[in-house]
Amino acid sequence: MQPDAWRESDLFRLLVLGVRDYGIFMLDPGGHIVSWNAGAERIKGWSAEEIIGRHFSTFYPPEDVRSGKPEWELRVAKAEGALEDEGWRVRKDGTRFWANVIITALYGDDGELRGFGKVTRDMTERRRAEQQLTDRRRLLAHLVEAQERERQRIAWDVHDDTIQAMVAVDMRLQLLARKLPVEHRAAVEQLDGAVRSSISRLRNLVFRVRPPGIERQGLRDSLAAYLADTAMVAKIEYSLDREPGDDAAITIFRICQEALTNVRKHARASAVVVSLSTVDRGFLVRVVDDGVGISDLDPNSGHFGLIEMRERAEGSGGWCTVSAGPGGGTVVEFWLPDVRP
Amino acid sequence: MILRILIADDDPLIRDVLRDVLDDEPDMEVVAVASDAREAAELAERHAPAVVVLDVRMPSGGGARAATDILQRAPGTRILAFSAYTDPGAVDEMRRAGVTVYLAKGVRNTELVAAVRQLGVQ
Repeated sequence: MQPDAWRESDLFRLLVLGVRDYGIFMLDPGGHIVSWNAGAERIKGWSAEEIIGRHFSTFYPPEDVRSGKPEWELRVAKAEGALEDEGWRVRKDGTRFWANVIITALYGDDGELRGFGKVTRDMTERRRAEQQLTDRRRLLAHLVEAQERERQRIAWDVHDDTIQAMVAVDMRLQLLARKLPVEHRAAVEQLDGAVRSSISRLRNLVFRVRPPGIERQGLRDSLAAYLADTAMVAKIEYSLDREPGDDAAITIFRICQEALTNVRKHARASAVVVSLSTVDRGFLVRVVDDGVGISDLDPNSGHFGLIEMRERAEGSGGWCTVSAGPGGGTVVEFWLPDVRP
Repeated sequence: MILRILIADDDPLIRDVLRDVLDDEPDMEVVAVASDAREAAELAERHAPAVVVLDVRMPSGGGARAATDILQRAPGTRILAFSAYTDPGAVDEMRRAGVTVYLAKGVRNTELVAAVRQLGVQ
């Protein structure tokens, strides 16, 4: 070897020994530790003097040692050149950490196995963060489900109880109006009119809060059915690569419903387009109308459900924005991440 | 001729007002009032009414079951479903059970009375 090459390999050795984020060490062909670096000491707790010469199965939990995992990993690395594994490993003090491990078989120029290189990373923090994210998603799914259940209960109560009672009152008022002298009839008929309009408002409420039946007919058809029921002139452009999961579908439906309620009540639009597409591993939805536009909307007002739409989108890890359309009208645009693997 | 009517509804408010509305018509008489599906079939057999005004969601079997039983036990009877539910599934189920007319709760009294009267003369 040339003197320059000597210096290079010395420098390289110093670099490896000094790395602190990764445990980098070598095993002999039988699995005994022959070198150790600062990262390995930091992650595993052993100093070089303590560990060199010991078998690397020291790092494995007893259940893995019993099942022969350390030897199996060396066999695989030898046969295939390398092996990557994630799993529990044990520190010097007996505590465990979640490790990402790469074992590489090292062959000399003569083709003889000289040993193994082993690179270990402590993934405990990342694993914890991933688990927190999973927990958060699960919580969100529960929340959406609980909200829908609650809505269903309200819809049933109002439909089966409140509206029924008011229908009976309305029938009674009609009967009464027939029996009254003419001079009193107008007052009762006015009352009857008020009851009827309350019934119709309650029916609208039931219609809005009842479950849209996405689990039966899918998101696209649920939206189409909703639009048909509201008698709006609307087009759905549906180009999702993948159907959203249950809670995402409900969230998309509810935000669209809110946006479409605004269009119906305030926009004086002649047509509306709902488009759904796959963007950035998520669902991008736009509700565009050709109505009177945003100037009539006070964006700070809580009246138009703008806050609810934003809260729903942001609660699911997405965003929602309302803006003026290029040719007048209003654009409600929101994006939700597809959180499934 | 007086049109004899049976009312079946589990909601007491609806039951009472239905009776008063129909009894108020000179050519109609409510002969019995039932509060569930089983009672409706029993009272239909006993009174053989011309028309049954029948709720769709009721205890002890529901309106469809009641309609089937009524037509079996009082074959000359005609049934008008009077329901808060207007979804196609509910309407279809009642029609298959032999219901002739389906009215949504909330129609004007005059409309209901006219429908009952028309059923009675058929």
